[in-house]
Amino acid sequence: MKKVAIGGGQGFWGDSPDAAIHMIRNADIQYMGCDYLAELTLSIMAKQQLKDPSKGFAPDFVTRILKEAGKEAWQKKIRICTNAGGMNITGCVDAIKNWAEGAGMSGYKIGYVTGDSIKEKIPQLLKEGWTFPNFDYDGDFNSIVDKIYNCNAYIGHEGIEGCLAEGADVVITGRAADSALFLAPLKYEFGWAADDWDNLARGIMAGHLLECGGQGAGGNYMYDWRNVPRMDELGFPIAELTEDTMDITKAPDCGGIICEQSVKEQFLYEVHDPANYWTPDVDVDVSHATLTQIGENRVRVGGIKGKPRPDTLKLCVGYHKGWKTVSMLSFAWPDAYEKAQYCAEVIMKKMQRRGMKADDIHISYIGLNSLHLGVADMSEEALKNLNECVLRIAVFSEDKNECAKIIPEISPLQLNGPPGASFFGGRAHVQEVMALWPTTVPRDALKIESHILEVK
Amino acid sequence: MPEIYLNDIAHGRSGDKGDTSNVCVYARKPEYYKIIQREVTPEKLKAYFGDMVKGEITRYEVPSLGGFNFVMKHALGGGATMSLRLDSLGKSMGSAVMRMKIHVEDGEV
Repeated sequence: MKKVAIGGGQGFWGDSPDAAIHMIRNADIQYMGCDYLAELTLSIMAKQQLKDPSKGFAPDFVTRILKEAGKEAWQKKIRICTNAGGMNITGCVDAIKNWAEGAGMSGYKIGYVTGDSIKEKIPQLLKEGWTFPNFDYDGDFNSIVDKIYNCNAYIGHEGIEGCLAEGADVVITGRAADSALFLAPLKYEFGWAADDWDNLARGIMAGHLLECGGQGAGGNYMYDWRNVPRMDELGFPIAELTEDTMDITKAPDCGGIICEQSVKEQFLYEVHDPANYWTPDVDVDVSHATLTQIGENRVRVGGIKGKPRPDTLKLCVGYHKGWKTVSMLSFAWPDAYEKAQYCAEVIMKKMQRRGMKADDIHISYIGLNSLHLGVADMSEEALKNLNECVLRIAVFSEDKNECAKIIPEISPLQLNGPPGASFFGGRAHVQEVMALWPTTVPRDALKIESHILEVK
Repeated sequence: MPEIYLNDIAHGRSGDKGDTSNVCVYARKPEYYKIIQREVTPEKLKAYFGDMVKGEITRYEVPSLGGFNFVMKHALGGGATMSLRLDSLGKSMGSAVMRMKIHVEDGEV
C-alpha cells in the first residue's frame, strides 16, 4: 500500500534549523514543509522590504537549511514546500537559484506561487462594494487604508500542487496557509479529488500537527515536560499517511516525544470550533477525532471529517497603528514589590507633570504578575519575601513624540527613587506598533499562479 | 469539599489568533473529564479572569480526546504587537487557566 511521509521542518521565522537538517539526513521522508509565517510576520517583512527592496522574505531558509542540507534533500528526492517567500517571493527564488548554481545543482527545479498579496487590488475591491469587515472589532476599513503595510490572503494548496506536478524540487510561496504546505504534496501523491473533503481534512490535520515544528514533538509540553527525552536535540514531527491511516512519528535518533498527550496538546492549538476548523482548502471537523498510541513515538490519528471549503478567503491586513516604549527597572529584597510599585507612582507623577498624552499605559511587575496579570498570586505571603522584582512600564501612543517622553525619565530613578533601583538593557527605544485587520476577500479577487525556474 | 488547582488534573496549551486566545484543556485521566466539565464552565472562567479577558468565552467539548477548547475573545490586550503585555501572544494563558482553583468531591481525585 502506498505510504507518503512528510516532515515539519520549521515552526516560525527564527526557529532552529537543527531538526530539519537531522530529518533530511536521517528520516525516511519524501516531503518536508517549512512554515515561516505567523500572523504579523508579513507586516514585518513588508516594512523591511520598504527599506531594502532585496529583503522581505525569510533568508534563513536558504542560509540555515538549504546551504546545510538542501543538496542532500535533492539527492534523496525530498521535496520541500515552504512559505519562506513572505512578501518577496521572487527575491527568495533568486537567493535559492544563486545557492543551487553555486552548489552545482544543474536541473534543480524551483517552483513558486504568486498572487496572495493583493494590496494593489484594494481600491478596486472597495469600489465594487467589498467592505472588509473586521472579525474582531467594529471599525471602518477606510480609516486604515492609508496605513496598510501588507494585505495577503491565506491561500490553499492549489498553486503548490501545480508546482509539484511540474516536477518542482522546492516550492516557495507567500501567505499559503501553514497547513496547505503539507496538504498539497499529500493530495498530489494520493490523487485526492478537489471535493474529497474527508481526505483533504486529513491532509490539513497532518499539516496542523506538523506546522509548529517542535511543539508537535514534546516542545512547549505541559503534560510532562520534565521527562521529554533529550530536549536539546528535539526532533520535529513526521506524518506518515496511507489511503486509510495517518500516523504521527519522528526521525530516528533524536530527542522529543510522540505520545497521545503530546499530539493532543498540538491538536486543538489555535483551533477555535473543533467542528468547524476553517482553512482555505476545507472546513475540518475534528470534534470526533481519536488518538491512539500504536508504537514507541507513534500515534495513530483517526476520526477526521471534512466539509466543503468556505467561499471566501481569510485576509490578513497589517497596518500602522502607533508607537510604544517599554521601560524596566529592577529592585531587590527587602520590600522589592513595594519599592517597584512606589517607583511606578513616582514616574507616573513626573509624566503627568511633563504632560505625556498616552493612549494606553500598562504597568506590571516581572517576577510577580507580568504574565498571569489579574490571576497572579498577589497575597501577602507571595509578596513578603520576594527576592527581586522588575518594574515594567509600557506606553502606547499614536504620537511618536508622546511615547518618547518617558524614555529619559527611567534611569535617573537609580539615584532619585526608592533604594536599590537598577537600570538595565539600555535606554528604551520607540517601537512601531503594527496591528492586524482580520477580514475576508472573495476567492475570485485573487489570481494564483504557479511558476517553475530550472537551474542551468 | 477539597479545593485543588485545575493543573492537578489537566494539561493543555494556549494559542493566539489576533486578540483571541484559545486554551485547550485535557483531562490527565479519563475520569477527570467530568470534573472539568462540571467545574470549568465558561461562566466560571469568565469570572475568574475578570478584566483580563474582555470578551466572550466559548467552551467546545471534544470527548473523544478527553478535552475541551476554550476560545476567549479580546483576551490578549489587543494581541500580537498591539498588546502592551509582556506576553502579548498569550503563551502563558494556558498556565493561567490551569491556576484556577476547582472543587472536587472527597475521593474524586
